[in-house]
Amino acid sequence: MKILIVEDEHKMAEYLRKGLSEQGCTVDLAANGIDGQHLAIWHDYDVIVLDAMLPGLDGFSVLRSLRILKQTPVIMLTARDRVEDRIKGLHDGADDYLIKPFSFLELLARLQALTRRGRAQEPAQLRIGDLQIDLLSRKALRNNTRIDLTAKEFALLAIMARRQGEILSKTAIAELVWDMNFDSNTNVVEVAIKRLRAKIDAPFSQKLLHTIRGMGYVLEPRATAHDGEGG
Amino acid sequence: MKNSIIARLVIMFAAAALIIFSLIGSVLYAVVDNELLHHERNSLVTTFKDIEYMVSRAGTTERWAHVQVKLDTLTPADGKVRFWIFSDDPRFGYGKDLAELHEFANHPNNLGRMSIKGKKYPLHTLTRILPAYLDRPAIRLTVGVDAASYFETLRTFVAAMTGLSLAGVLLVILCGYWIARTGLQPLKKMSDKAQTLSPKTLSERLTLSALPDELSDLAQAFNGALDRMENAYKQLEAFNADVAHELRTPLANLIGETQVALSRERSAPEFESVLQSNLEEMDRLRSIINDMLFLARCDQGEAATGLVHALIADEVQKTMDFFEFVLDETGMRVEISGDTHATALIETSLFRRALTNLLQNAIQHSPAGACIEVAIDAKNHGVQIAVSNPGEPVEQGHLPRLFDRFYRVDTARRDINGIHGHGLGLAIVKAIALMHGGSVFAASTGGVTTIGFTTARF
Repeated sequence: MKILIVEDEHKMAEYLRKGLSEQGCTVDLAANGIDGQHLAIWHDYDVIVLDAMLPGLDGFSVLRSLRILKQTPVIMLTARDRVEDRIKGLHDGADDYLIKPFSFLELLARLQALTRRGRAQEPAQLRIGDLQIDLLSRKALRNNTRIDLTAKEFALLAIMARRQGEILSKTAIAELVWDMNFDSNTNVVEVAIKRLRAKIDAPFSQKLLHTIRGMGYVLEPRATAHDGEGG
Repeated sequence: MKNSIIARLVIMFAAAALIIFSLIGSVLYAVVDNELLHHERNSLVTTFKDIEYMVSRAGTTERWAHVQVKLDTLTPADGKVRFWIFSDDPRFGYGKDLAELHEFANHPNNLGRMSIKGKKYPLHTLTRILPAYLDRPAIRLTVGVDAASYFETLRTFVAAMTGLSLAGVLLVILCGYWIARTGLQPLKKMSDKAQTLSPKTLSERLTLSALPDELSDLAQAFNGALDRMENAYKQLEAFNADVAHELRTPLANLIGETQVALSRERSAPEFESVLQSNLEEMDRLRSIINDMLFLARCDQGEAATGLVHALIADEVQKTMDFFEFVLDETGMRVEISGDTHATALIETSLFRRALTNLLQNAIQHSPAGACIEVAIDAKNHGVQIAVSNPGEPVEQGHLPRLFDRFYRVDTARRDINGIHGHGLGLAIVKAIALMHGGSVFAASTGGVTTIGFTTARF
């Protein structure tokens, strides 16, 4: 994935480049609106991350001039979260917006969502290590042993399995599983993960559901048993 | 002075005095005029009667000559009394300037006034036609009395009255100024006192007992405003302190942990653990800032948008589902009671957020195995949600303050079940209720704490 980041805050631009490069993306940086506009127009990117407040030319202007020529997906970054600002950005042709401070995981998830559009339909069967999930019959098997899950437990497992290898934050899980799209400040997700872990991981030697402390959870087969099983 | 009460009062006093003096002057003038005229006429009539008697009995020319002599002697040298007799027979005439008198020939046979050349004021006259007697034909007798004293008196009266009135008005202005100033002294004192109030003496109030009735209402209202301001000020101060404290704790953790980590050589896993811990603290900061921004926007009067008619029981059920695992683990139950078919215009995500906070609060403060009750009560066009849980009773004094930002009944009880509560949960419930045009309530009786909110929109 080729990404352009237009951001004047040096630290933020650098960590975004580092983080996204490590996820296998090719990242170009622009520190002001004029350079950003030039790069966005003359090169082809899969997605552009555009700060709203930029020296030279603000993000909204860059977006407007880009939209005359191209339909590259754009995520706007803004420190202002007033509804008008969001509407302005979306009205000018932004595909998504993120409010600073945002979590890197959320940016990653949204970048993936933007570029995933139009991909082929997901398979009905998912497989993580020796865990098999049938999304149609809503069954989970491990080592050919049927795992008995409640509806919500299965929903949680399915969501994690669809995004295997991707770190999901607690907020994202709450939104995807329960449609609770706000910081709930509860331990619901921890409890849910604990229950799921007890059912799919506890009886087996290879652990699939991992806690990334401070960030969230990920479902993936890992070579070693080491992981931050902290919370 | 344009808005001075004293100036207004003085002007009004002066105007009132002017009107009163003018009225009294006018009435007095009319009375004096009437009295003087009456007096003048009486003497005129008396003189006339004397002459009339003499003239009417003079029927011959001889006697008429006698009358003329008599009239001559009766006419004073200064001309204060004058007589004129007009007759068709010139022998029976009398008086100077008879020609002028012709003009009055047809004058009504009564009282009148007559101006004479060389006289400043007109004369008062009485004219009567006397019937013929012996040789004499009918004659017309006119007696004129000089009215100078009458007019002079009136003139002097008007001058004196005007002068007195103006002096009176001036006196009223002076007295009025003094009265107004003295009368408004309590107001001055009150404003002096009010001026001494400053943010440093926030708890001081105007003393009501020293004030007259008219001002005590104002002072009471003023004191009420001061009360509200003091509360707001104190709240703001407390809020600032709370915010600083809440932000300071995670910041201190971040700084301290990072410094400790960097002070020695550490292994990668050690650094990883520090970073993870830092991330947690930063997430806490982010969460506090987000909640505070949410509350700030509500303070600015942002109302809920995207309102939809929703079945309240459904929303409660969804929120309950969210807590399913937690309830399961603690052995608690949630029961929905009341009007399960009630609908209301709500923004569902805000509504769920409020419900989540209420349920979270109830779960946190209930013993294991407790039963939490969510009562739905349809009110006119809105709905009331009450979440009750058994638990330690909350003191009455704390109840109304539960919805204050960062307010905690028990400051020591911070993190329950690993949840970092930062004391904004119920404040957010209140904000959401306000965004829906509703309110919040809290009660604690018989070991059951009930906290809830209403929506009252449209």
